[in-house]
Amino acid sequence: MTAEAAMSTESLEPLVELRDIRVAFGGVHAVDGVTVDLYPGEVVALVGGNGAGKTTLIKTLSGAHKADSGQILVGGKPATINNPRDAQELGVETIYQTLALADNINAPSNIFLGREVRTRWHTLDDTAMEHASRQLMGRLNPRFRNFTVPVSSLSGGQRQSVAIARAVHFNARILIMDEPTAALGPAETEQVRDLIRQLKKEGIGIFLISHDIHDVFDLSDRISVMLQGKLVGTVNKSDVTMDEVLAMIIAGKRPGEVTEQDIEKLHG
Amino acid sequence: MSDATTTDVQVDEGDKPQRRSPAGLLRSMELDPRLFGMLIALAVIWIVFNIWSDGTFLTPRNLWNLSVQTAVVGIMATGMVMVIVTRNIDLSVGSMLAVIGMFMALLQAEWLPQWFGFDQPYTWLITLAAGIALGAAIGAFQGSIVAYLGVPAFIVTLGGLLVWRGVAWWMASGRTIAPMDTNFQLLGGGSRGTIGGTWTWVLAGIACVGIVGLLINGRRRRRKFEFTLRPVWADVTIGLVGCTAVIASAWVINSYPMPPGLARKYAEENGIVYPEGGLNIPLGLANPVLILIVVGLIMTFVATRVSFGRYVFAIGGNPEAADLSGIKTRWTIVRVFMVMGILVAIAAAVQTARLNAATSGLGQLAELYTIAAAVIGGTSLAGGIGTIPGAMLGALVAQSLQSGMVLIGVDAPVQDIVVGIVLVVAVALDSLYRRRLK
Amino acid sequence: MFKSRLLVLLPVAALALSACGGSDTGSASPAAGGDYTIGVSWNNFNEPRWAKADEPAIKAQLEALGAKYISTDAGSSADQQLTDVENLITQGADALIILAQDGTAIKPAVQSATDQGIPVVAYDRLIEDPAAFYLTFDNVEVGRLQAQAIYELVPEGNYVFIKGNQADANADFLRGGQEEALLAASGCTGPLTPKNPDSGCAIKNVGESYTDNWDPATAQTNMEQFLTQNNNKVDAVVASNDGMAGGVVAALEAQGLAGQVPVSGQDGDAPALNRVALGTQAVDVWKNAFDLGTAAAEIAVQLAGGTAFQDVSITADLGDSAPAAGSDAQSFTTPGGVDVWSIILTPVAITQENLNLPLDAGWITEAELCQGVKAGSVAACP
Repeated sequence: MTAEAAMSTESLEPLVELRDIRVAFGGVHAVDGVTVDLYPGEVVALVGGNGAGKTTLIKTLSGAHKADSGQILVGGKPATINNPRDAQELGVETIYQTLALADNINAPSNIFLGREVRTRWHTLDDTAMEHASRQLMGRLNPRFRNFTVPVSSLSGGQRQSVAIARAVHFNARILIMDEPTAALGPAETEQVRDLIRQLKKEGIGIFLISHDIHDVFDLSDRISVMLQGKLVGTVNKSDVTMDEVLAMIIAGKRPGEVTEQDIEKLHG
Repeated sequence: MSDATTTDVQVDEGDKPQRRSPAGLLRSMELDPRLFGMLIALAVIWIVFNIWSDGTFLTPRNLWNLSVQTAVVGIMATGMVMVIVTRNIDLSVGSMLAVIGMFMALLQAEWLPQWFGFDQPYTWLITLAAGIALGAAIGAFQGSIVAYLGVPAFIVTLGGLLVWRGVAWWMASGRTIAPMDTNFQLLGGGSRGTIGGTWTWVLAGIACVGIVGLLINGRRRRRKFEFTLRPVWADVTIGLVGCTAVIASAWVINSYPMPPGLARKYAEENGIVYPEGGLNIPLGLANPVLILIVVGLIMTFVATRVSFGRYVFAIGGNPEAADLSGIKTRWTIVRVFMVMGILVAIAAAVQTARLNAATSGLGQLAELYTIAAAVIGGTSLAGGIGTIPGAMLGALVAQSLQSGMVLIGVDAPVQDIVVGIVLVVAVALDSLYRRRLK
Repeated sequence: MFKSRLLVLLPVAALALSACGGSDTGSASPAAGGDYTIGVSWNNFNEPRWAKADEPAIKAQLEALGAKYISTDAGSSADQQLTDVENLITQGADALIILAQDGTAIKPAVQSATDQGIPVVAYDRLIEDPAAFYLTFDNVEVGRLQAQAIYELVPEGNYVFIKGNQADANADFLRGGQEEALLAASGCTGPLTPKNPDSGCAIKNVGESYTDNWDPATAQTNMEQFLTQNNNKVDAVVASNDGMAGGVVAALEAQGLAGQVPVSGQDGDAPALNRVALGTQAVDVWKNAFDLGTAAAEIAVQLAGGTAFQDVSITADLGDSAPAAGSDAQSFTTPGGVDVWSIILTPVAITQENLNLPLDAGWITEAELCQGVKAGSVAACP
């Protein structure tokens, strides 16, 4: 564990706490009493197999889905999140797996979508939005230049930059990233990883949902593992090996409980 | 490529210097190549018809006619763009035109006169306002079913096509309602429904100043944010071409004098001795065309300069993304249909005023011509793409074909065949162009 | 194109309307009617006249004869009309009156009715089938009257012809009658087409077009184009019906020519008769639809009672509309070469001189007829 991360987890108040969250679809418990938290400048990876409930859990925070029970605390205060707008107002921004960009409009329009800058005549101030976008991109991804073309003509990495810029611009304190590198090539993946480190440095807390164990070990400070809607456990990245995390994902056993046999099964 | 949201397009810093190819030139001037292509197609159509009609097509008189004949479908096409951009469709506009036209006709010819008598000064205004309110209400009703009940727009408006046509008949038991209020008739153009030669020049002057003002303002704003400026020669060219086009249009319009019969009446009324060679008084821009231009400007503004327009395009591009951005997508859809309804009401006013009558058969097939105009004008039925000027130009192309064919003596069945083929060819060319872009 | 093909809601409106009209002729005369049910298949109740005159007249006469009225509206759809006819048969019609959307497409329905022993009256529009009894106004005569009236005003000069919907046989009947009358009156050899200008003829066809759906707005646009093409040198317009005449007059008005260029029409629409009174339309050929409806009802009841086509004979008093060929059924050869039995009523040309005819028949009120007309300028508007 880096000194920085250790300091933040020990000395500061958590940005977010999800306490005992439950979501059921029909009779199925998609999320069954899960508790996780996130500190400033920290990346918490949420991992687990398909259908483990990671995305559903996180949707209760992003406002896309309401929890059946449980409590969400933002900055120590109980929060009610009914829709994406509520979440945004609490400083929670989400970058969806499907990117959620409008392909037919340009990068600044996407970044400011739903929160446009207006002139004093209440018309759109496209010049100001482009200006802000250029400054933002200068910070996040200096190589980005295509501010005036529809985002459909951008590469995957560039589109991801737009999606992240969109999330970061409005002073997000908490960022949810759902599979941010899944659709990207190696160079672009590295670009996004740089971006995440950059955001971390700025004190933003990030929930990272990923299937890519390398991403997880490369970027996160803590790892929360879910299996069948339940939390298997949360571990400090520096305390565990990849094998141990894989065992948690697959067998649902915490590091102390893993046997040689389990490890062998993993590799077999 | 340009969509309605990128009006302040500029040359990117990272780009290589523009090559001076035709496409490069266009890009420097930031003109939509598709729009430019359509202008060329229009020019070809006009020239061919002009040769074929022994020079009648490109007379000021015929162009003046053409401008008036385009107005009704042109007005509705600006709204249809918005509807189609949100991945919806409105098949009911022709029937709505009939029902609103019938409503306005009954209001001014039968209902209001019962209380106030015929030809009161405000009859036309009350009628128009009531018609617009009815249009907005019908639009809101259909839009709500689409947005909140999730019934596909195709079905809702197909139902509307049947329902409103039936209601239009039912309102007057199928009678023809005529004549319209004297002031109301002015909305339809005709002999007195024009703004006159002087005002046409004044408007052209204002438009010219407006173009220059917009260009200067654009440069000023970009300079303020230290963006790269468009080359000066490009701005000057745009300004010159735009101004020239406006002045030339005004000149063509004012070259069409008041018809002799009317001029003689005018001379009598004003105590002028009617001269041997006739009086040369320009009629000026017709009111329906003025309405079309104003509608076009407002709709372009709505589509590109306010949040509502931005949301319309975002919904068309990715409804889910729009939703997750906190946009009230359903309410936006309802508003789009309301705008459509209002525009249909305006078109209905122009149509009934021009015909000086309302029948329940008014606007038959108008939905198809309106959709065709939007699509010929580059609106993608897949949603997300379309421009207001494109749709207006599309309406002009379609009307040019029809009016031109009448002029050269091609009868109705062949007209339908030609317009149908042109629609398909236009869309085919457009998809080829788009595919090449990718 | 699917235009108004699916106007399924109209029958509802039509039925609602028919439910509240025409019940005041309650003189239950125990005529030959018996308990027959007469089914009427309207092609499109959209057009003004059906609801206003034809249907009430049919219903009144059926009631007088003690027969029952049922009806359907096909909303301009030839397909729908086939289904409609089946429905009427199912509902127990003993005879059918069919206003055909398409005189050829309806033939299977006529066949089916005949197979079940149900006689068919082709109402107003021709059905090219000897199994249908043809009752109409003489459409060729309508065209003749239109052209004659215009010719009397303009014996030489440039004519424009605004024809009806190309898919409707009436459009060509009308045009045929117009041609016939103009050739006979002028002594020209014809044909009067824009592409075949007869050099020796005093009448020149300078523009002719069909009009989709008889649409007035289309007629207006076409007229504008003809005026442009001829630089306003148009002396007369032969328009085939009143709706289109309205569009033509609007186009003339914009050139200050309304009232100077005579325009024809037909149907006796209120705004058109008003235009005749105002002088902006020269003639309106009026087919007294009350008489047509009355005749149809009588013929249908006779047929339902087993009368053979050739023995049909009208007894009702049809006034000015009485058939020129007498009240008995006549053989009529269709354009398609089929011999059908028919009764063909006579239309009347309404000009400023005889505007009192539709006024006296209760077809139009004086207020409608004389709106905006200077008092005393025509006899009917004192």
